[in-house]
Amino acid sequence: MTADGVLRKLWFLFRRDLAVARSYRVAFVFELLESLFGVAAFYFLSKFVQSPQLAAALPQGETYFAFALVGFAFFDYMSVAMHSFDASLSEARHNGTLEALLVTQTPLTVILAGSAIYPFVLMALRTGVYLAWGIFLFGFPAGQANWPGAVVVLVVSVLAFAGLGVLSTAYLLLFKRGNPAKWLVLGLSGVVGGMMYPVSILPAPLQAVARIVPVTYSLEGMRAALLGGAGFAELWPSLRALLVFAAVLLPLSFAAFSWALRRTKITGTLTHM
Amino acid sequence: MPNEALIVENLVKYFPPAQSGWRALVQPFTRLTERALDGVSFTVGAGEILALVGANGAGKSTLLRVLATLLVPTRGRACVAGHDVEREPAAVRRRIGFHTGSDAAFYSRLTGRENLEFFAALNNLSRGETARSIAAVTELLGLSASLDKQVRTLSTGNVHRLGLARALLHRPEVLLLDEPTRSLDPLTAAEFRRFLKNDLVRQRGTTLVFASHALSEIEQIGDRMALLHEGRLVAWDAPRRVMEHAGAATLEAAMEKLTGRAPAGDQPSPARDKR
Repeated sequence: MTADGVLRKLWFLFRRDLAVARSYRVAFVFELLESLFGVAAFYFLSKFVQSPQLAAALPQGETYFAFALVGFAFFDYMSVAMHSFDASLSEARHNGTLEALLVTQTPLTVILAGSAIYPFVLMALRTGVYLAWGIFLFGFPAGQANWPGAVVVLVVSVLAFAGLGVLSTAYLLLFKRGNPAKWLVLGLSGVVGGMMYPVSILPAPLQAVARIVPVTYSLEGMRAALLGGAGFAELWPSLRALLVFAAVLLPLSFAAFSWALRRTKITGTLTHM
Repeated sequence: MPNEALIVENLVKYFPPAQSGWRALVQPFTRLTERALDGVSFTVGAGEILALVGANGAGKSTLLRVLATLLVPTRGRACVAGHDVEREPAAVRRRIGFHTGSDAAFYSRLTGRENLEFFAALNNLSRGETARSIAAVTELLGLSASLDKQVRTLSTGNVHRLGLARALLHRPEVLLLDEPTRSLDPLTAAEFRRFLKNDLVRQRGTTLVFASHALSEIEQIGDRMALLHEGRLVAWDAPRRVMEHAGAATLEAAMEKLTGRAPAGDQPSPARDKR
């Protein structure tokens, strides 16, 4: 299969999901409006929790509103990276299209990757809307942001998290239900990854745990790029850590996925729910 | 395509036993003890029509799914258009069309055309090929008028036709169909059978393998039939010859005799024609 052929298939998989979403227009508009309520809630929470101790704990002299908004918006993005692959497999099982997809001339890995594009694009749009509400209504400080740097951090983060997402899909193929390890990773990332508070306020053992969770590096890089205007040299430590996660997790996850797919063809449980 | 479109040699397929509760967690790793196919062997020439016949659970769907690369054989070998289903699955998928007879296997909020365009792209058809193929196939199947409606608004019969259209889009050499006329009204079913036999097989030279419970359909279009019983091939020949060998006046009576399910008083015939 040529690169052109793969891109064309990815486009058609994206177009399918876009067409399905367009058939639910009202829900789509309300989702964007809902994000306004989320941003407003953070803004008023940040007013409530302002204190000298908190200001001292925040890096780079950030406001808590800006700190938490970046954490909240991009943690959601990472969650999508982990959920979207197994969500597309579950959906294909539920709507009965899995066998029809598997007898086409397209490998399941391409189908899953293509099925993940729409959720990523939608989440990017939502994240953009979150930031836009923050900038235009609540004074989010975007004046010195390094936007290209933020995009690079985002792309590398998605690669690192996609490895976990594909591993989770391999688990779902075999065991038919959601992967408990996925919830552990997401839960742990939520506690130690620095979504709502800086990692530096955690006890030392939890700070050590934070260093083995990719979301920590992702949020550090994202905040440095968006709030600190950090250049690529300053972003490199975060990017390097995320690239190591991606280099380890992606090959491992694809090997696990291939094995799980063959196993389900042996046991005849490919389409079982 | 080689003269033999399908070669199945001593095909065996076992599944793990169904598990519930915590044992379901180890099911992917349990021993394969439930027999679904047991030493099935046959060949089908290019441009022939083979009907797979048997009671529920006889192994028809399992055999179709092995040929469609959706299941890996436990032992034995199956080749489609000269390609081994286990070692060359991508090459096999280029040559087959597969329709399960399921009504639900579409994106219901997309139109029929959008669904067909999507599956055509996954089968490597260019934009031009897709447009031509959709026009030709949907006209043959009488779907043109409902092609631009959302699938959820189509009748069961039309969704079924859409499934057949999808299987035919890339002009497969071998077409695998599970109950191809299920959900079709009698007139449409008759028309569709004529389409399969005259247009698809006789004119285009497509090889057709279909599983069916409709015995009249098997007699009408099947060049040969493979009668499966508990995973074993118990008869293999033209439907009329199977009846003759069994000494039965109807295909139904022949099946009853050959599978040992004869009504009280009848004796199963020893006639078996295996390959």
